Amino acid sequence: MMTPRERLLEVLRLSLLLILAVALQAVLTSRLTVLGVTADVFLMLPVLVGMTRGSLAGAVFGFVSGLLADIIFMDPIGLRALIYLLVGYLSGRYAEWMPPYSAWAVVALTAVATLLGQWVYAVFQFLTGNRAPFFTMVWRQVLPAAVVNGLLVAPLYLGLVRLKLVRRLEPGGMSKR
Amino acid sequence: MQPQKELGRRRLVLTALVIISLIFITLFLREASDGALHSVQQGGLGAMSPIQSVATRAVQPFQDAWRYVTGVWSAYEENRELASELEELRGQVVQMQEAAEENERLKRLLEFQQSGIFPAGSTYCVARVIGRSPTRWQNWVQVDKGTADGLAVNQPVVGAAGKAGDSLSGKGLVGKVVAVTAHSAQVQLISDPESSVAALIQGTRAEGILEGTVTGSLLMDFVERDQLVELEAVVITSGSGQIFPKGIPVGKVVSVGEEDVNIYKTIEVQPFVEVRSLEEVMVLTTVSQSGDVQTKKLPTGIQPGSGGR
Repeated sequence: MMTPRERLLEVLRLSLLLILAVALQAVLTSRLTVLGVTADVFLMLPVLVGMTRGSLAGAVFGFVSGLLADIIFMDPIGLRALIYLLVGYLSGRYAEWMPPYSAWAVVALTAVATLLGQWVYAVFQFLTGNRAPFFTMVWRQVLPAAVVNGLLVAPLYLGLVRLKLVRRLEPGGMSKR
Repeated sequence: MQPQKELGRRRLVLTALVIISLIFITLFLREASDGALHSVQQGGLGAMSPIQSVATRAVQPFQDAWRYVTGVWSAYEENRELASELEELRGQVVQMQEAAEENERLKRLLEFQQSGIFPAGSTYCVARVIGRSPTRWQNWVQVDKGTADGLAVNQPVVGAAGKAGDSLSGKGLVGKVVAVTAHSAQVQLISDPESSVAALIQGTRAEGILEGTVTGSLLMDFVERDQLVELEAVVITSGSGQIFPKGIPVGKVVSVGEEDVNIYKTIEVQPFVEVRSLEEVMVLTTVSQSGDVQTKKLPTGIQPGSGGR
């Protein structure tokens, strides 16, 4: 069990992560297009938080991160919140169920999470009448986004570990700070 | 019991968050554009805009650098593609130019055929030059038509070459068929040293024999010294040899000389057709027996002979 002080520090760290996400997304990643898509820091961070802090923290962080993304990306509020909270939760569940894992799992899980997130997002777009050719979107949006997020999450993870905002993943169990 | 309680708590939170998200989505989609959630979004964007503005200025140099790098790469790729495309187009241009030139040559042949020079009722066969004599000692070309196309030995061959100097039209006698197979024939050119063509000079009607030389020019022999021969006079076939119908333009007189030891004039004739650049020729496969020569005036100014020996 965490002490109140530890809990407060944890909340502060997560808040700092959110601020960092906003800053990174606004300043850097949204301006750099790779393979025709931009990286989504708001999705990467719930994965990292879920994997290093558990499913509950991942879900809550994903929800807040998604709300911020909804505001910044001008999406219907709640859409990305829903997607990212599921991403954070499932990442946490993966970490709880399938230890040990290495830091490479971050890359793989982020790519998979992106794929799932993109699918859900695409389904929502489809339901709201925004139709697009299926394979075109797969090749031009879904797969590139998974690749870009998967690749960029590695340096993000290493940087956040160095800043002690994210715990280092260790083989054989949950992460250490 | 503790893990179960923890799990239940997680599920509760997860369910609550999912429900809240769905409520948000529903409300957002149902409310007007000035609704509460939209206002929140607008306010959030408003708060973000100064940050983005500063960020834009801060990131601009890096963004420019990135664009430069990607631009250089894409320019490199584009350059390669364009170079490849250019090569392809150049090839097509060459092909089209070749086709146009061939078309022009054939058109000239057709004009030549329709010029009225040849006896009425004559038939023709256009053949492509597929081989040439390897040395200047001989002057012949091989064509891609043979007996299967109606060719036979001693048939006259005419041609039209675009580069025939200041000749009247670049159209004229080329030679005669000297050997023929089923699908090819050898044409002895008038510039071949072994070639001889009975000819006459327009105007004075002086007759003689045109012989080829290794230099490519023609010498007209057997024109007596008392015959008046003018420079630039047109030389045509006389029809005396029974091979070439009368009136086919051959060339023009470029020099006239006399030698003390020779009872004939020495006349050099420049052929109208630059035989070395021939690519297509026209073989007169049937010459009308009447031997009548059309008197229609040639566009080149050549007037087919109407008399002669």
